[in-house]
Amino acid sequence: MKLRLRAGEAPAGRPVIVPVRGAVPAGFADAVAAAAFDAAKDEALRLFLPRDAVLVGCGDGSGAALLRAGAAGLRALWPADRAAPERVVLDARGFGPEEAARLAEGALIAAWAPSLPRAEPLPSPPKRLDVLCDDEDAARPAMEAAEAVAEGVRFARDLVVAPGNVLTPRAFADRLAALEEADLDVQVIGPKRLARMGAGGLCAVGGAAESGPYLVTLLWRGTIAADPVAFVAKGITFDTGGLCVKPAKGMEEMRADMAGAAAAAGAMLALARRRSPAPAAAVLAIAENALGAASYRPGDVLRMLDGRSVEVVDTDAEGRLVLADALAHARRLRPAAMVTLATLTGSVVVALGHHRAGLFGSDPPLMAALAAAGEATGERLWPLPIGERHRRDLDSDIADLRHCLPAGKGEGWGGRFLPDACHAAAFLREFAGSVPWGHLDIAGVESLARGGPLGAKGMPSGFGVRLLDRLVAQHFEDPHRL
Amino acid sequence: MLDISFARPSLPSSGAVALLLAEEDVPGALGPWDEATGGAVTRGLEAASFTGKKGQTATLLAPGGGLAKLVAIGLGKRAALDAKGREAAGGAAAAALAKEAKAVLDARFAGGAEAAAEVALGAALRHWRFDKYRTTEKPEDKPKLKALPVLTDDAAKAKAAFAPKKAVADGVFLTRELVSEPPNVLTPAEFAERCRRLEALGVAVEILGPKELKKLGFGAMLGVAQGSANEPRLVVLRWEGAKKKDAKPVCFIGKGVTFDTGGISIKPAGGMEDMKWDMAGAGTVAGLMAALAGRKAKVDAVGLLGLVENMPSGTAQRPGDVVKTASGQTVEVINTDAEGRLVLADVMHYAQEKFSPRFMVDLATLTGAIIIALGHEHAGLFSNNDELAQQIAAAGDAVGEACWRMPLGEEYDKKIKSDIADMKNVGGRDGGAITAAQFLQRFVRDRGTDKAVPWAHLDIAGTAWTTKDHATVPKGATAFGVRLLDRLVAEHYEG
Repeated sequence: MKLRLRAGEAPAGRPVIVPVRGAVPAGFADAVAAAAFDAAKDEALRLFLPRDAVLVGCGDGSGAALLRAGAAGLRALWPADRAAPERVVLDARGFGPEEAARLAEGALIAAWAPSLPRAEPLPSPPKRLDVLCDDEDAARPAMEAAEAVAEGVRFARDLVVAPGNVLTPRAFADRLAALEEADLDVQVIGPKRLARMGAGGLCAVGGAAESGPYLVTLLWRGTIAADPVAFVAKGITFDTGGLCVKPAKGMEEMRADMAGAAAAAGAMLALARRRSPAPAAAVLAIAENALGAASYRPGDVLRMLDGRSVEVVDTDAEGRLVLADALAHARRLRPAAMVTLATLTGSVVVALGHHRAGLFGSDPPLMAALAAAGEATGERLWPLPIGERHRRDLDSDIADLRHCLPAGKGEGWGGRFLPDACHAAAFLREFAGSVPWGHLDIAGVESLARGGPLGAKGMPSGFGVRLLDRLVAQHFEDPHRL
Repeated sequence: MLDISFARPSLPSSGAVALLLAEEDVPGALGPWDEATGGAVTRGLEAASFTGKKGQTATLLAPGGGLAKLVAIGLGKRAALDAKGREAAGGAAAAALAKEAKAVLDARFAGGAEAAAEVALGAALRHWRFDKYRTTEKPEDKPKLKALPVLTDDAAKAKAAFAPKKAVADGVFLTRELVSEPPNVLTPAEFAERCRRLEALGVAVEILGPKELKKLGFGAMLGVAQGSANEPRLVVLRWEGAKKKDAKPVCFIGKGVTFDTGGISIKPAGGMEDMKWDMAGAGTVAGLMAALAGRKAKVDAVGLLGLVENMPSGTAQRPGDVVKTASGQTVEVINTDAEGRLVLADVMHYAQEKFSPRFMVDLATLTGAIIIALGHEHAGLFSNNDELAQQIAAAGDAVGEACWRMPLGEEYDKKIKSDIADMKNVGGRDGGAITAAQFLQRFVRDRGTDKAVPWAHLDIAGTAWTTKDHATVPKGATAFGVRLLDRLVAEHYEG
């Protein structure tokens, strides 16, 4: 869906999204009364009189609420069973440039559908969104940034929705290589070179699969002469669990186990599209955790890229192994800060459910910045601890450390309960070195737990793209930050 | 309890001694000890590479001067030494001296009188042992240490500083004892009877049985209790220590499931024996009330203990049952193993109706999810009030009972919507500790408004029991929460 800014009235005959904040717009009062529509609570009211329109409530007026409002408007005009009108209008008059941008961003994100081949194609979204505003020139910069971010979100969603047989490690690397088109520098390191480099974690996890593993670096140079912020992300294109194979139930969802890498790539695309002045990099560890004759085993001791040895306990805790090598590689870029992003543990879902991602880290200011970016974008985080005992639990008898605790070896209650998200974070911290580091465990939020304006239940959320873009905008684009 | 005394320093000429040393004290400060032993202490510690590093210990056998044993314990750098560090050193000393019949603890290098009292507290806390049911253990295998003189320059002042700490330690021991007792012994009725001991400290003890609870409309708590042959009890402990009359009391509420089988939604066999400590919240409240009364805290405090046993039987509550709570709200029981919140719901309501508290804090071994979230170093802290939450977190850090704030929110509350009742008692595995807290928050009157009482919920499922020895907490019942909440009251709610 393309976006165009326009001044003036909505053209007759085109459906209009009308965000409602405070007073009801002229002409709609009777309909609003008839439906008992409450702009603070209700999301959308589809109307055909006095004109083809959808009224959307702006909730508490926050950026996240405006985003949902824009999305709800678009979704109301594009029911699942029918093609959308080719052109729709968003009436953002009376909204400031940032507010209008949030409304449009919501609509642009909602205008997404899985682009997988099928004989009976899904109804397609509108082709164009005309945004009515009071002053086109004033609205343009924020609107262009919103378009860039929405493109990043859709890019991430396309990757996440692709199943394991389509998005193989090889295919993932190819799609990332294509980002050169957006002026990103792309470096792809394949299996042979990874083995030579000594990336023992990534090579072990990806060893049983037909393709991969790959370590892909995306680099955006920006214009500020500063060290880059680096996003380090997990891209397991499919996770069987390896020899510690997962139960069949729900395994199909493991196509999304690369959502961290997808979000990091989406954020890089957004930064490039909006020509961010801040230098940034993404280091993406891409592998398939398959089951095969070359599988790594519980009990194996791996030599990691940074030289440390790790005892493997559970082959299904593979994410932290590939991230450990990716962190070591990212440190070579001399980053100002590193943020890991991964669908890492089931434990974080038990801890926080599907409404917040877990936030860990070693650097309180960076963690506060991440949490603030999460609140601002509605991609909410909650801090969780890395305690001394979490780290001590990872002591190994035969290696520098082990990567998790054996199942059933927790304290008490038959050992059933393990704080695995904390253990994973404690493990990653070892590989972050002295670089300020934050870690987002996004398991549970990578897909939409409930259907809503931003998409249908179970569809990818693109969680992380908007948050990371906001982090960069707020904290890394000041040329005087050094 | 270890008989702690304070004595002016005079070097013992027999038995064992523990010597607490900061890094700055090694080797310079060892003069008198070297004189008594012909320089052996310095030589020995040097040979053992003892530098006074925090947590380091070195044992010298027969160092001379008649001593059987000298244990040096490192305090770390003096500038970084805090109360927690001194308590830990005292605990380490008690552990090292446990098998000695005669021993002293030299605490002079840890600081003055207050420091000596902190060291003594650590030693007392660590030395506690639940020995009641060991009938065949040989005397030589039991700890022999009964008394421990602590050497300090101002013994009288140290003794005065130790008195309130001893009261808190006694509270901790009461909690540990209650939590350690097996479930066939500590039934709800027995637990309630033991609370009568607090009368000696000036605590008013009121015990309510099933009839009274029925009259009060405690449908949720009675639903949990109905499967067991052991009747439920509600114990109300009142301490009135505030100078001002008619002060609003502070309220502490404890979950006391004396044994939790899970009920009809029965638990797996592995580890079920641990469920004797599912009354640790109530045990903690009992110990806390003993601590406050024991040190004559200037506060009005109420402790409420909801005591039940959760059993599967022909009369047990079923998944699908709908119960009416004392607040009038109805609950669809989806899982009979989510029983703690049902008990707390009624007790929390009663606490607010009867006492209009200044704040209420509930403690409960509530969810396995909190262990998956945080592990065993932090209890989960949920609150509707940032100020209270910060006070609790700070008090926890000060005494080494750490809490970690967890979120609440509408989106989590939605997960306990029921199709046929006001709510259901579980919201699924995801965010399980949070949905449990949301359930409890539904029983905070006027929730979401300014009128709501400040409330905090501590999910202590991961911290009430430990399978390893820690500096001031031996393996077993930890009494997590007694010291924390005593500190909370002392810091902010007395006077």
